[in-house]
Amino acid sequence: MAAAFMAYPELRHPFEAKPIHAEGSASVLYQGRQITLAETGSGPGLLINPEDLKGINGFELKPEGACYADMCIPLNSKLLITQDDKQWFDLTAFADLLEQPYVFDQASNVWSFAEIPAKRDNMMVNGLAPDFEIPDRQGNVIRMTDLKGKKALIVTWSSW
Amino acid sequence: MPVWQQVYEEINDPDFVILCVAEDTGGEAVAGPIFDAAKPTYIQIVDVNHIISSAFNFVNVPSAAWIDEEGRIVRIDEGTYAKIHELGNKEQSIKFGNNVYTPALRDWVEKGAKSEFVQSVETVTGNIRELSFDQQKADAAFRLANLFREHGLTEKAEEYWNLTQTLNPESINFFRQNLTLSEEGSAGQAFMERRGEYESQKKDYYRPLDMES
Repeated sequence: MAAAFMAYPELRHPFEAKPIHAEGSASVLYQGRQITLAETGSGPGLLINPEDLKGINGFELKPEGACYADMCIPLNSKLLITQDDKQWFDLTAFADLLEQPYVFDQASNVWSFAEIPAKRDNMMVNGLAPDFEIPDRQGNVIRMTDLKGKKALIVTWSSW
Repeated sequence: MPVWQQVYEEINDPDFVILCVAEDTGGEAVAGPIFDAAKPTYIQIVDVNHIISSAFNFVNVPSAAWIDEEGRIVRIDEGTYAKIHELGNKEQSIKFGNNVYTPALRDWVEKGAKSEFVQSVETVTGNIRELSFDQQKADAAFRLANLFREHGLTEKAEEYWNLTQTLNPESINFFRQNLTLSEEGSAGQAFMERRGEYESQKKDYYRPLDMES
């Protein structure tokens, strides 16, 4: 292995300061996307509008629970919370239940979530490629599912 | 990257694609010119948040996965060089890479499941790295740091880059990405010390390529 020598100190912090989201909002990072939430419930965890759940992590609320593909997590009073007659979904309680790691920066009100381990069972146990969604250099969104029917070499590299 | 373009052109099969993914927080500014110089026709991705490495549990570059038509991984996580590279002048040249990976890839594209290089589900799943809770959490910290960087919040970015490396000290990707965006660079003193640790502890810098050369 030869080590490439690359140093870009000028690119460490090249950006001007700007707000992450409107004042009073919260942001969720998941799979490389930023989802801004104009409204959240109060409390130590992240309480979201139940209808925002699908746009964040793909889970949908159904009578049988919070469901993604063939997986349904039964709902309980720790996940669905009522405050002042309004219902909230506790995304952090859901993450804790699913052993999904996350990092919270309180001052900026940004919650960054790692992948949900249960969504990765198909890779870890059955050797199936994981779902991902990422833009290419031309701006096309590339998803693992789009590659079905073709053989694919996915290879990483870096400038460094 | 020209080497992968050459491989892609040689294989020239409409049912074969290459996704070439630059794990570069420096973004298009650093990865773009390298891609452009290769005049690539494969799919090119500049992955500032290392999403693809996270998806496949890669901790170093270059790493790769072969995915068949049904979405099954048939090889994963090997130090992936398409040829033997030689750097420097003749007296002090450094050679790295191998001359077996590309022929194996070509064999798989041609023969599919009958290729001797296709691995069983057991071998594939055994080769996928298990990451601890904290190592997975490092991905979340890294993306948070990058969000702060993109919004000019330098102290916050530094705080969460540091947390990233504390949570996943095994990731060469996070380690060298950080060095790359500093005066010291990706192959300075800190890197040489890390390499020395790997050598003295006989740890693999990459998972060894399971092919005969």
